[in-house]
Amino acid sequence: MSDVSDGVGVDTLGVGDRVELTFPARGDLVVLARLVSSAISARAGFDIEELEDLRLAVGELCLLALQGSDAHHGELRVEFTCSDETLDISCTLVSDGPAPDAWSGGAEALQLSEQILAALVDEYGRDDQDGMVRAWLRKRRRGPLA
Amino acid sequence: MEQQFQIEERSEGSATIVTVSGEIDVATAPQLQESLHALIAQGRSSLVIDLLAVTFLDSTALGVLVGALKRCREQGGDLQLVMADARIMKIFEITGLITVFPIVDSLAAVGHS
Repeated sequence: MSDVSDGVGVDTLGVGDRVELTFPARGDLVVLARLVSSAISARAGFDIEELEDLRLAVGELCLLALQGSDAHHGELRVEFTCSDETLDISCTLVSDGPAPDAWSGGAEALQLSEQILAALVDEYGRDDQDGMVRAWLRKRRRGPLA
Repeated sequence: MEQQFQIEERSEGSATIVTVSGEIDVATAPQLQESLHALIAQGRSSLVIDLLAVTFLDSTALGVLVGALKRCREQGGDLQLVMADARIMKIFEITGLITVFPIVDSLAAVGHS
């Protein structure tokens, strides 16, 4: 994280700062990603409404990554990267098992997750790479980084 | 401090009021689903879900509520939601579910206290 010498306060995230959170891929631990999201969003210069939007969006991102997975298998790796205009967040399911190929909540749940993400963030997506499922989002700040 | 997830139910006339508090997410939504399905299976298909004390709600919670609404209506009942928090309301708005559920802002509005 940046410090005062970078021209960024000790309680803020500066351009290029990256925070990574890894936890067992279980639904009951998704709350951890939401908690960290709130702390990081505040430090990255987002206002309270954007912070709440990101908290919800990060939870949906984890659900997208978890889809079809064995809930007791693997890890979720959530990465937050700050740029001068955006906060990029990715959530990767790291698993030794086969890549998930089905949305465990069904098409309706997938649609709800995507509707929520489409409304709350500027860009989002989901891809499978080398047996790992990665969901990501990008949120732009309303104002410049302080 | 986060409010702990809780479900309480009580009967008032022909309706069953289900009061939920805390966060409804992928971890807690299955408990809500189980409770609602059990009530509907008992023939209690006129449900009022009080979400006034809910502090967070995600797509899994919405899925549970939509599923319960369908089951209630299949049995000739209905499912009403009580909510007042703008954050919670916003999730129903962006998913279009605000037009699917009957929604009021207080229990008094549906004739209960």
